[in-house]
Amino acid sequence: MAATAETTSIRTEEKQSILGRMVASPLIRLIVRRVLVSIPLLLGISILVFVLLEAIPGDPARNAAGMDATEEEVEAVRRSMGLDRPAPERYLTWLGGFVTGNLGKSSVSGQSVSSMLAERLPVTLELVFLAFVVSLVIAIPVALLAARKPGGIFDRIVMVISMTLLAVPNYVMALLLVLVFAVSMRALPAIGYVPIDEGIIPNLRSVILPVLALGLPLACFYARFLRGDLVEQINSADYVDTARAKGVGPWKILWGHAFRNSSFGLLTLVGLNVGGLIGGTVIVEQIFAMPGLGQMMLQGVGSLDTAVVQICVFIFAAVAVFANLLVDVMYAILDPRIRYGSR
Amino acid sequence: MAVADPATTVAALTSIDVSDRSIKWARLRKRLVVWIPAGFVVLLLLVCFVGPLVLPLPPPVGGSVLESQLPPGSPGHPLGTDVNGNDVLSRLVYGGRASLTVAIAVNVIGLVVGGVTGALSGYLGGTSDTIIMRVLDVFIAFPSLVLTIAIAQILGPSLPNTILALTAFAIPAVARIARSATLRVVNMPFVQAAELSGSPWWRILLRHIAPNITPQMLNFALLGMGIVIVTEGALSFLGMGIPAPNPSWGNMIYEGQQSLSATPLLVLWPSLALLVTVLAFNLLGENLRDEMSGR
Repeated sequence: MAATAETTSIRTEEKQSILGRMVASPLIRLIVRRVLVSIPLLLGISILVFVLLEAIPGDPARNAAGMDATEEEVEAVRRSMGLDRPAPERYLTWLGGFVTGNLGKSSVSGQSVSSMLAERLPVTLELVFLAFVVSLVIAIPVALLAARKPGGIFDRIVMVISMTLLAVPNYVMALLLVLVFAVSMRALPAIGYVPIDEGIIPNLRSVILPVLALGLPLACFYARFLRGDLVEQINSADYVDTARAKGVGPWKILWGHAFRNSSFGLLTLVGLNVGGLIGGTVIVEQIFAMPGLGQMMLQGVGSLDTAVVQICVFIFAAVAVFANLLVDVMYAILDPRIRYGSR
Repeated sequence: MAVADPATTVAALTSIDVSDRSIKWARLRKRLVVWIPAGFVVLLLLVCFVGPLVLPLPPPVGGSVLESQLPPGSPGHPLGTDVNGNDVLSRLVYGGRASLTVAIAVNVIGLVVGGVTGALSGYLGGTSDTIIMRVLDVFIAFPSLVLTIAIAQILGPSLPNTILALTAFAIPAVARIARSATLRVVNMPFVQAAELSGSPWWRILLRHIAPNITPQMLNFALLGMGIVIVTEGALSFLGMGIPAPNPSWGNMIYEGQQSLSATPLLVLWPSLALLVTVLAFNLLGENLRDEMSGR
């Protein structure tokens, strides 16, 4: 009964105005609700960052003033950085600045955090984006080929290789790639990043190895998942039997029918992995000396640079939250049952 | 149709025979994929924890620079020595001991603390559940490597502190699993029966809920072993885990990286040990899960 009443009230709203229609739209409600839920989450994360950095032994004022500075100089730096004020006040000052778009300055270099982000964010985004592209470009054809004959020779080889590669941590993968492609074959640079405005080819050459180190384990993960899901669909789903009975060829069934369904699950996995992958860039950027967000954060933790670490962790967590939200929204668009069921 | 055509009977018999054999083979394989990794894990535990007492291994630290970077197969050093003149095989064994100690300790602490938190949260429900889960959400959404690095820096590098730092991301993950497993059983008749018969909440948790969620938790812990070993390696690789002269697979890989082009084997040995160990735990976890879910 309650559900009917609610539906009617939505119908009346719908007639009223565009605003009313937007409020009534389950999709927009979903987005608004999820955004509202993520605010306390991100707030909690920023408090945790602050508390953790406060607890790490070390004196940011001493770091900024230099090791041979006198006690008075350190005190002067402390006052100019605002570190003489109590911790809760400093946190609130940072939060106020953050909300109004002022991200503060690095306590080490004095550079503004926004300009540091402008330099470093594109590097990390390029790595993450290309890693996803590489992983999907490898995983989808491999999974389709393997699912064509489950238990066949290609399927078995793929399963063994992917299981093995999944057990390789990204830092080991990175070093193995360096060993093969940079040290033995001398085909690619071992470390360093070439910005895109120095030419697209040198830029791509400089990111291939880190992208592979991030993307290969993901490719294995996706290929295994997709292959399993495809095989399950082919073996059990009624629409596959229907398609077979119509005389649809096996490839067409795989690609046009089963893969379409499996792509839902794949999409979810990609969304869930965004957080993990962007976390994985921390160590890969360190190994390949990539001037990205992960490296910036690691250096920030080392030098107790609160403003820098805050924004890096915020971006990492917010990207993960946002990716999950995006997955849910795409789900709702693709599958109306979810949209109306989740209200 | 009572009298069967001999040709059909023969065909039926042979086909049964064939499928019987393939079923046997499938069963054997199912057992092998569990027993081989299980056997490897047992062997690894023996080598790493009993090995140093029985085998004539040189000490893993305090080697002489005069003996640095001996090639594999040198007398007394089957896998050679590293840059500091320490025996690589010995460091692999002691490093494995450190990695496994950390992984086991983190998983045990994670299972106990996370399991109790999650089960309690799921069983109690209401406001306390909401508060616990919101706090855990913060830890789960926090980049795990940053969390462990920060905690490792607060506590300073040492083996016990590495364990503590890694539990910070193990506990919330386990608690999540424990909570969802608890929610599945909490409304079942046997729990209600226990409640109606007047059992106190701790008794219901301990005697009725815990036995039901334990298999799932143990399985998660097996997969968690691999994750913890890898993360410990990452922490040591960044110089914030097991402190330097003491070996761990992670810091061996890091030390080897310094001379990657000259002596790649110094990176490959610990990498291989890490890979095979993680693979064994993953295979074990995955196949046990398949077996339990009856796949």
